[in-house]
Amino acid sequence: MSAVTASPPIDANAGPAFTGSIRIRLRTPSRRRNLELGLLLFAIAIGLSALVLAELGALGRVEPGVLGLAIGLSVLILAVHGAMRVVAPDADPFLVPIATLLNLIGIAEITRLDIANGLTGWDAFGVRQVVWSAMAVLAAAAVLIVIRNHRVLQRYRYVAGFVAIALLVLPFLPVIGLSVNGARAWVNLGVASFQPGEIAKIALAVFFAGYLVTARDSLSIVGRRILGFTFPRVRDLGPILIVWVLSMAVIVFQRDLGSGLLYFGLFLVMIYVATGRPSWVVLGAVLFVGGAWIAARSLEYVGGRFYSWLNTFDSDLYDQGGGSFQLANGLFGLADGGLPGTGLGRGNPDITPLAESDFIIASLGEELGLIGLFAIFVLYMVFVSRGFHLAFAGQDDFGRLLGVGLGFVVALQVFIVAGGVTRVIPLTGLTTPFLAAGGSSLVANWVIVALLVRLSDSVRAQPRLVIDSA
Amino acid sequence: MSELTLLVLQLAFLLLLWGFVFFVIYSLRSDLFGQRARRMVAPAPLPLDAMPTAKPTASAPAPVTEPVVRADPAATAATPTRLVITSGPREGVEIDLPPEQLTIGRSSESGLVIRDDYTSTHHARLMLWDQNWVIQDLDSTNGTFLDGTRVTQPTAVLPGTPVTIGTTTFELRR
Repeated sequence: MSAVTASPPIDANAGPAFTGSIRIRLRTPSRRRNLELGLLLFAIAIGLSALVLAELGALGRVEPGVLGLAIGLSVLILAVHGAMRVVAPDADPFLVPIATLLNLIGIAEITRLDIANGLTGWDAFGVRQVVWSAMAVLAAAAVLIVIRNHRVLQRYRYVAGFVAIALLVLPFLPVIGLSVNGARAWVNLGVASFQPGEIAKIALAVFFAGYLVTARDSLSIVGRRILGFTFPRVRDLGPILIVWVLSMAVIVFQRDLGSGLLYFGLFLVMIYVATGRPSWVVLGAVLFVGGAWIAARSLEYVGGRFYSWLNTFDSDLYDQGGGSFQLANGLFGLADGGLPGTGLGRGNPDITPLAESDFIIASLGEELGLIGLFAIFVLYMVFVSRGFHLAFAGQDDFGRLLGVGLGFVVALQVFIVAGGVTRVIPLTGLTTPFLAAGGSSLVANWVIVALLVRLSDSVRAQPRLVIDSA
Repeated sequence: MSELTLLVLQLAFLLLLWGFVFFVIYSLRSDLFGQRARRMVAPAPLPLDAMPTAKPTASAPAPVTEPVVRADPAATAATPTRLVITSGPREGVEIDLPPEQLTIGRSSESGLVIRDDYTSTHHARLMLWDQNWVIQDLDSTNGTFLDGTRVTQPTAVLPGTPVTIGTTTFELRR
């Protein structure tokens, strides 16, 4: 009855008004890129001043070596920004500047630790970090230029799945496989070692997004209601069990607790976003807690992690080799830093083992204090929220799921690392995205930046029409 | 370099770092709080009020349009490709429909940006499902009206059916 209420004025008066069609397309092409350039220059200025401050604090003077390399890296990133004006003109303007700032702050802190440890030249982690960063940025640029439409990735979802499995198996191959600190997660490439699991997380995100778009209906519609949750049918449990077995295999065979948690958490969030069913999260959490509990009882290294998490300040454990010395020292460092920090280059973060990689959060927390550390966390939060934003503004389901997955993988990784260092959860050996020393992590995270840039570029198709009644 | 200088530099650095953070968040403000509504020059009647008054006059041709609304899907084999604004500030303007989806809202990211007092930041979207355009209201404050009825679930939009959002009404055409 009320069906035509809105139409009479149109039929009566407006009919002849649109005989001639007017096609309007509004373009404001460079606004986002100009904002990005401004943010990028700001980020580079902060990053380089961090490096200068770190060297002033630790040495009392500025060494040209790493600073020159860092300037070179900044120029490279600016060149990538220039390329983005052509290949991704409507992309999100926050991703690259935030990644750049975090990367440069990481380089500053790593260089400061090199000075304390007396490492120079190619031995210095800082120098290698800059070189790896340059390679990572180039990899990101290559991804941006090669993948012009993210939907191509959907076609290769099963390929991505197999690539992920292959990458995870790579460390077990006889010649190239390498064990570092007990975890068999590295591949020796001769000149440098590489952690294929870092790249695997991207392949897994692509695979999960592609798979869940097609399988979503059977996973979300049917089921049985128990205790207010709609639980899936037994036969639909296949995928979650496979991913669970995969992440348990990573924990048992690679002896890498953090990566196992990362892959499983990624799948859980993506299946939750795809189906909108909390029961998957409940189910997954039960599966993972059960698996982790069994692992803690049966695997010595996992049990040890739990034990030193709960008894960090036990003096016997502190003195014991491989005990809680590292974790406790990281906490002492954070406590020493307090609110404003000791100042870059003026604390003692080098006492903690692996201060430049696993404990970079503790090192930065000591020298920049809670104030600085929180700024870093806010930057991560904004970065992750840009990925989540794609899920809201995205145009296609695959891109939306992939955006959530890639954003969440960074969030979860930061949580696992920062939570481990601050004793919220047991310590695991993951890297802090963009900050920690490590080439594979840098390459993987810059590729994530490139993919998010590509996704956001396709989202930000310019409005076809703007109706402004002002 | 003296202790004091280094301390001052450290504090300046932290300030700069937070300056960057606030710059980023300031640039993000429209995403966080929505686009600011613009005051309209002349107070226009609320579309919600306009509809009931139009009702009695419109009740007569209703039976005629009823079958059109329920037309079988075969009739829509030729999918609409254009969107024509039939009333509102930009009356008469037409745009091509995108291949998959058109988002509508006050946000500048929307495919069709409508800035008036009644439009939400992410108001509604048109999606192409099996050759049919379907409109979905994205929990907008003032609603999306398909042929005068408020859209509560994704509903097929047949060619020529008026869709009202705020003060703008449009329809799809082949």
